[in-house]
Amino acid sequence: MNNPRAQRLVVGIDTGGTFTDIVATLGKQSFRFKLLSTPHDPAVAVIEGLRRLFPDHSPDTLTYGTTVATNAMLQRHGARTALVTTEGFEDVIEIGRQARSSLYSLEPCNPPALVPRRLRIGLPERMLVDGTVEVAPDVAALARLRKRVEQARVRSIAVCLLHAGSNPAHEKAAREALKPLGLPVTVSHTLSPEPGEYERTSTTVANAYVRPLMEEHIGKLRRESGARQFRVMQSNSGCIGAAVSAREPIRTMLSGPAGGVAAALACLRRAEIRRAITFDMGGTSTDVALLGADLPRRASTRVGSIPIRTPCLDIHTVGAGGGSIAYVDAGGSLKVGPQSAGADPGPACYGNGASPTVTDANLVLGRLRRGFFLGGGMTLDMACAESALNGLACKAKTGDAWTTAAGIIEVVEANMEQAVRLITVERGEDPRDCTLVCFGGAAALHGCGLAEKLGLREILVPADPGLLSARGMMDGVLVRDLRVPVRAQDPSLGRLQRITNSSRHAAERALRAEGIKTADIRTEVFVSLRYLGQSIEIEVPLARGFRAAFDRAHLRLLHSSDPGRSVECCGARVTATERRSTLRPRTAATSAVADLARPKLRTGGARGLPPTRRAPRHCKPEPVEQAQVHVGGRKRRVPVFKREGLLPGYERSEPAVIVEYSSTILLDEGWNLWVDADTNLRLERSARG
Amino acid sequence: MATRAKNHPVSGKPKGKTSAKGFDAIDLELFNSRLIAVAAEMGTVLRQAGFSPNIKERRDYSCAVFDGAGEMVSHAAHIPVHVGSTPLSVRAAIDAVDMGAGDIVILNDPYAGGTHLPDVTLVAPVFLSSAAKMGARPFAYVANRAHHADIGGAGPGSMPLSTDIHAEGLRMPPVLLQRGEEMVTETLTLFLANTRVTDERRGDLDAQIAALRTGTKRVTSLVESFGEDKITAAMRELQAYTRRMITDVIARIPEGRWAAEDFLDGDGIKQGRIRIAVALEVGRGRLIVDFDGSAAQVTGPLNANRAITTSAVFYVLGLLGGGTMPANAGMLDAVDLRLPGDSVVNCSFPAAVAGGNVETSQRIVDVLLAALAPALPEKIPAASCGSMNNVAIGGFDTLRRRQFSYYETIGGGAGAGPSGHGASAVQTHMTNTLNTPVEMLEAYYPMKVICYRVRRGSGGKGRHRGGEGIDREIEMLEPAQLTLLTERRETEPWGLQGGGPGKRGRNVLVRGGKSVKLPGKTTLALERGDRIRVQTPGGGGFGK
Repeated sequence: MNNPRAQRLVVGIDTGGTFTDIVATLGKQSFRFKLLSTPHDPAVAVIEGLRRLFPDHSPDTLTYGTTVATNAMLQRHGARTALVTTEGFEDVIEIGRQARSSLYSLEPCNPPALVPRRLRIGLPERMLVDGTVEVAPDVAALARLRKRVEQARVRSIAVCLLHAGSNPAHEKAAREALKPLGLPVTVSHTLSPEPGEYERTSTTVANAYVRPLMEEHIGKLRRESGARQFRVMQSNSGCIGAAVSAREPIRTMLSGPAGGVAAALACLRRAEIRRAITFDMGGTSTDVALLGADLPRRASTRVGSIPIRTPCLDIHTVGAGGGSIAYVDAGGSLKVGPQSAGADPGPACYGNGASPTVTDANLVLGRLRRGFFLGGGMTLDMACAESALNGLACKAKTGDAWTTAAGIIEVVEANMEQAVRLITVERGEDPRDCTLVCFGGAAALHGCGLAEKLGLREILVPADPGLLSARGMMDGVLVRDLRVPVRAQDPSLGRLQRITNSSRHAAERALRAEGIKTADIRTEVFVSLRYLGQSIEIEVPLARGFRAAFDRAHLRLLHSSDPGRSVECCGARVTATERRSTLRPRTAATSAVADLARPKLRTGGARGLPPTRRAPRHCKPEPVEQAQVHVGGRKRRVPVFKREGLLPGYERSEPAVIVEYSSTILLDEGWNLWVDADTNLRLERSARG
Repeated sequence: MATRAKNHPVSGKPKGKTSAKGFDAIDLELFNSRLIAVAAEMGTVLRQAGFSPNIKERRDYSCAVFDGAGEMVSHAAHIPVHVGSTPLSVRAAIDAVDMGAGDIVILNDPYAGGTHLPDVTLVAPVFLSSAAKMGARPFAYVANRAHHADIGGAGPGSMPLSTDIHAEGLRMPPVLLQRGEEMVTETLTLFLANTRVTDERRGDLDAQIAALRTGTKRVTSLVESFGEDKITAAMRELQAYTRRMITDVIARIPEGRWAAEDFLDGDGIKQGRIRIAVALEVGRGRLIVDFDGSAAQVTGPLNANRAITTSAVFYVLGLLGGGTMPANAGMLDAVDLRLPGDSVVNCSFPAAVAGGNVETSQRIVDVLLAALAPALPEKIPAASCGSMNNVAIGGFDTLRRRQFSYYETIGGGAGAGPSGHGASAVQTHMTNTLNTPVEMLEAYYPMKVICYRVRRGSGGKGRHRGGEGIDREIEMLEPAQLTLLTERRETEPWGLQGGGPGKRGRNVLVRGGKSVKLPGKTTLALERGDRIRVQTPGGGGFGK
């Protein structure tokens, strides 16, 4: 070994509801570690994990995926926040879009606003839609505002005024007036300048609401980890420095899932796969996303019922996972989810609950192996699972536990199928030429079933699917996304470039402030266009021919286009990206888990191999057991392998169950398996299928 | 290529008794979700491709799939008032036009399957490629309905204070809009010539067409994957499933006769309240809904046709079922709907109907809930706002050099119920459209919003307080014509079990610094600088 002082320690950490996952590289060594999260203070598990893994090292770079901001919003334990609005519009945050969340509800109820009425303060001012000042806030009004906010005894302030995107002067004046209070002020025009007052207000308020908590949390982690570079994963799957993430915590709402999708994309690129659907199935929910040449993006998301407008990955969440409960409804139909048994009481086979879940169905069907769950760290109770399923079988009139279990699997996979179809329809894509990428604890059990329903022919299961998000953190690059308000009819390329120029510089400056050299920064500009009078927006890269690119995209997404028609530009996005992670050697990624997960696999052997198939080398894995498993629609005796034993080049065309620490993989009938150079499991539909 | 051969993976026949021929609980769920997904996907395409704020922002549309006999199979739940009425549109289209492959029928006639004129319905047949030969009947139909912001007539927004249907806009009986995937230019030209904002209309029609094409494709591919017989059976099964769900809902209502009455403020033309009465008879798994005693059809535009009343009845059953049952032809099989002829709940040609869809439908829901309240005291909430508070403003925009037509419904307070306070500032019951954001409104129309607030103190008092209404004030930057169709300006949304009523709504014109109270229903020429303030009703309170 080299002198450890000369080696860089690069760490990725993903904190989830149940587990905190850590992956790291120190020189050529790789590490992985899973420990229970500490929800009361997530920093405790992070620091504990780092100390146990690296008692003598401080990370050179630590990238962190966090649910702190999301949980603070969902559990409503953010800071007491004041909201400053245009006078007359104090209740926009409460009215929302006037819609109720559920159509058929005897007593509809929308959750209360994050800022109660008494903490909303109207400022006498008015900006017009074109940025003209109609009424400027005068000195006396601003002084009164300061006094009222002071009396409100809040820890954070949100300012969102009408048409601030067209002209932010009044928001700036309010910020100046509030400065003496020494409180964090979030102004809407820097976070979300686009029109649409409710979404902008809710975004601004959410940011202000979680900001004090996030500043404290990030500050503590940064101090106690001793990391020289501390970064946080954003919802757009780019990282950002500690200071920005603490100031704009709203950008981290999809931190964890974004890390997973980013890591999946990296896997796909090395495997030279162009189009894929990610399938990340956990205990209570499943995230799916459509990957093309680049990451799928969208301009907004929701946390609970609250819309958040910030650049993020286009990830669709389905309320179905391993813990989803199956039942029969009044019309006699077998339903699965959205209620979940969670971790407590958990699926019936955990021994505490009586409700049949997807996990119980997998256990009864032999697809989940009781002796190998979490590497044998947890035993599953087959009798409890069978009794829960027999109970359901009576109600469903489906006969026995086995038949009912197979039905549950079919139904849950059909739910996933509909979800994937919806995202592909929305994006005007055909799913059939995509590869399905399975990660998260439960996805690889359902990969074959889902792929068949969607007509997909290829599946990829990356190494250590349960730790993929943390891997995404470790590999993350810095990204700064800025929105630019634009409103222009048939704009020229030059005009749009002029309008976005200062934001371009600002984004680049932000990356330089994180220590990135100008040469290592790539900046792109995207514009949102629509036909004049239309109300959809389509984003295209700002480059020569951007107008034609819009017409093409419109045709693909909306089945019509009209190149002769006027277009309107209604916003732009500037993205500065660190060119390539220079944090650690290129090959480390391929061997990241090798040392701990597969001690027998020499990392040198995998390095540098082309991602194509090669002749099988000497690899005859011994099954750890034989089992009766539901494959190809019937019960069959199939072998169970440990994944560590399946070396690159290994091929198999008969059904099998493959177990590993963080997941279980079902190789169903009609599918062929091979292991690629990166130790990804590659499943292909056999020709006759 | 069939992407999937097996229906469900169980080897052999299921051992237990199946719930229907060849369909067990598993099949039922699988095919239900597939058929419902077709309607949902059509909705996604329509929203994506929609042109006007009314479709993109407010989502005032719905999509549905029908079987070969024209019976509804699945409906994407967007707007409750469309649920019972879309089937009648499809029926009318089938009866009037002999549709071939690639054809699309357009219609909006309330006396031939429509509700009110702005709701434009498109219907397309689905032919299987194997049966594409001449003379074959369609395997299925797909349809969608979108509320167009203007369809001509006496007032911008096509919601005038009319006294017959002809004043309300262009009336289209079922006619071909496309023949063999080619636009029928005559129909399109005639349609566009009779609306105020033609570009927007054209764009929204294109979106409706794109959604139908998606629906056709998805139904066809389901048949390719599973076979014609299986999908035909699945469609029947889905209807039977809803029938069982409805029967279950009815079984939970205590047997007996439950009656109630409530009133509309007036029709906007003649003085006097309009009575709506209902008696529910529950027994032996069936429900009789009898509107006998309701007022005769009125002069003003407050008449509801059978389609609208049917929608309201289904909506209330859906409420009792918690919203879990798919909307389709099975829903009224266990219900016997008795509607007096030529009445305000079942009007005849040429009665004016513009407000029946949006206002009378709300009162029908109120009266149905009032009848159920003593039967299900632990479930039924107090009356909600009871109006969609329709505001239509139109004129010529000199700055943008174009005609404009703005239409919006404003939410109010929801009634309090046994479990808690009523929600404030929401759309209630028969609609759930989104608002037009202030910043969008000011970018599109020559108007400025002065205030948009929760109307404090408007909820009914009680152990649980009724939700509060909305206070919205708009200033005109151009002269324009205004139509207000609002309710609960004279009667109050009632409380329950000792709870107080919600506050009545109020409409005010501010001109030259002076405020003048406006009637609940009115048409008015606005001058530049005029302000219209609409204060919507609160919900009733619950309990002492």
